[in-house]
Amino acid sequence: MEDNIKEYKRKKNYKPIIKRNIVAWLIMLPSLLLFLFFVWLPIGKNIALSFFNNYKFTEFVGFDNYKEIFRDYSFLAALKNTFAYILWSIIIGYFVPIIIGFLLSECVHAKGVFRILIYLPCMISGMAVSFLYLNIYGDETYSILNVIIRLFGGEPHAFKGNPNIIIPLIVIAMTWRGAGGTALIYLSNFQTIDTSLYEASRIDGVKPIKRFLHITLPIMKSTFMTLLILQIISVFQVFYEPLVIGEWGGPSDASMSLMLLSYKFAMKDLEYARGAAVSVILSLIIITFTVIYFIVNNIVNKKEGE
Amino acid sequence: MKLSEKRDGLLNFSDYKKTKHKIAYYIFMFLLIIFALTALIPILWLFITSFKTVTEIQSTNYHLLPQTFKISKMLDVWNRLSFGKYYLNTLIVVIGSVICAVVFNAILAYAVIILKPIGYKIINVLILFGYMIPSALAIFPLVMQIRNFMGLNISLINTYFPLWFAFGANAYYYLLFKDYFDKLPKSLIEAARVDGLSDLKIFFNVVFPLSKPIMGVVAIFAMTASYSDFLLPYVVLQDTKMQTAMVAIYNLGTTNTVDSSEFLMLLVISIIPQLILFMIFQKQIMNQSVNSGMKD
Repeated sequence: MEDNIKEYKRKKNYKPIIKRNIVAWLIMLPSLLLFLFFVWLPIGKNIALSFFNNYKFTEFVGFDNYKEIFRDYSFLAALKNTFAYILWSIIIGYFVPIIIGFLLSECVHAKGVFRILIYLPCMISGMAVSFLYLNIYGDETYSILNVIIRLFGGEPHAFKGNPNIIIPLIVIAMTWRGAGGTALIYLSNFQTIDTSLYEASRIDGVKPIKRFLHITLPIMKSTFMTLLILQIISVFQVFYEPLVIGEWGGPSDASMSLMLLSYKFAMKDLEYARGAAVSVILSLIIITFTVIYFIVNNIVNKKEGE
Repeated sequence: MKLSEKRDGLLNFSDYKKTKHKIAYYIFMFLLIIFALTALIPILWLFITSFKTVTEIQSTNYHLLPQTFKISKMLDVWNRLSFGKYYLNTLIVVIGSVICAVVFNAILAYAVIILKPIGYKIINVLILFGYMIPSALAIFPLVMQIRNFMGLNISLINTYFPLWFAFGANAYYYLLFKDYFDKLPKSLIEAARVDGLSDLKIFFNVVFPLSKPIMGVVAIFAMTASYSDFLLPYVVLQDTKMQTAMVAIYNLGTTNTVDSSEFLMLLVISIIPQLILFMIFQKQIMNQSVNSGMKD
């Protein structure tokens, strides 16, 4: 269209171009209204709300809501938990998909079947997975963990009531659901490694372990990095698991996440302004990490382009 | 395929001539089996345990298998809680959401990437900005807008409209369409324009028929997302007669209306449609999940 603009300018005939712009805007108007109603207005109102006392926007209170939440027990707990979530998700969940992806890329027997089985948990909704793990960790006799413990003669344990292990338990549930999808991403990246690189070092008599360390790992470095950032972004948004397994972030806020807290403030405690402040803070954190993700990706793409 | 035919990857057929490496391969396979079992066992456990009776579940004598596998138990739970109603509601929500997801996002992407009217770059940036912020974070103002639609005192609570149209404003689906339309041959659209087709006709007669693959992908994505959606339906559908399966599961799971054995059966019932969907569309779902993780 830009060429056309030049052409029209030369002919000093703006009519068709104005008409076409109006038509284009009319075509996308319904979709834009939807974005306005469901995305842009709510976000804008939420930012505004975090500086006001109530949803009527009558009393401007500046940063009071923010000051208040930084004195709030649940918020400080959620902030602290966020770091615990990230730490545990790296310990428990980061390497599993890498290993699965690598194994799948080297597998020649029943590869398709393995792929399907490993991806299967990703299909189940977060809600159903949370309830499934609520039953796995449950205190009742039928929970898998307690069955195993009693098999070895131990006493049943109320797992989800223990604030010290609730976050690792939740991270296990998240990993179980998410690892398959991430593993497939690693698989496709392992598979794109140029076979001739391996071939050359094979001819030089380099052992497989050394090949892995000196060829595979350096090539995969950027994938490791970007998926690490993506994982951190997704961990900030953990919601269903603390809601269901922790029963609203419990026991006593030990599993409270920022996402759940912003929802709890707004919809359960009816502290809308505080909820808005929490969601603004969380949004800023997520945007920061997303920007980091784009920067890392750009650097990687540039390097590959060279 | 056999090991002796493996030509790509870290280890190939020539490595596997050594027993040492063959053993390594079987260790790989063993690990893979462990991972596959880890993925499968919780689901299997759920299916098996859901057929147990409450007394069996609560008994201190643990048996892996239930005494009887009665399919009738599934039907009993289904009928007693009239779960068909929730499924029907879910179906209504899913169909509307899929249509909105495909139509509105495709048209927006078409206008932005092909028609490129003045100001299209700003729209693109605004959409990307909305993409970064999880929608659940701004749910309170959204609910207030739904309760008092356009300031007209019309409440859309207990209607399906907000749930359908929310899928029409999805930045991710928009991006999928945008990437796809960007790769369409420009000459086709130019040719249609020379033929005198209007912009809207070009969309329906030229772009639409060419975009079936990406529409299928978005439709499958919207199907699974809308089936598992909880937050908005939970707030919007307050009338029990209108609730979706996920909302019903949450309500039944957090109150004491059903006993533990019935609830496990409900979980099974709620998972089955997703498993069926996966069986039908596994190729599309798995391929797209790879691409979506590595956007741009």
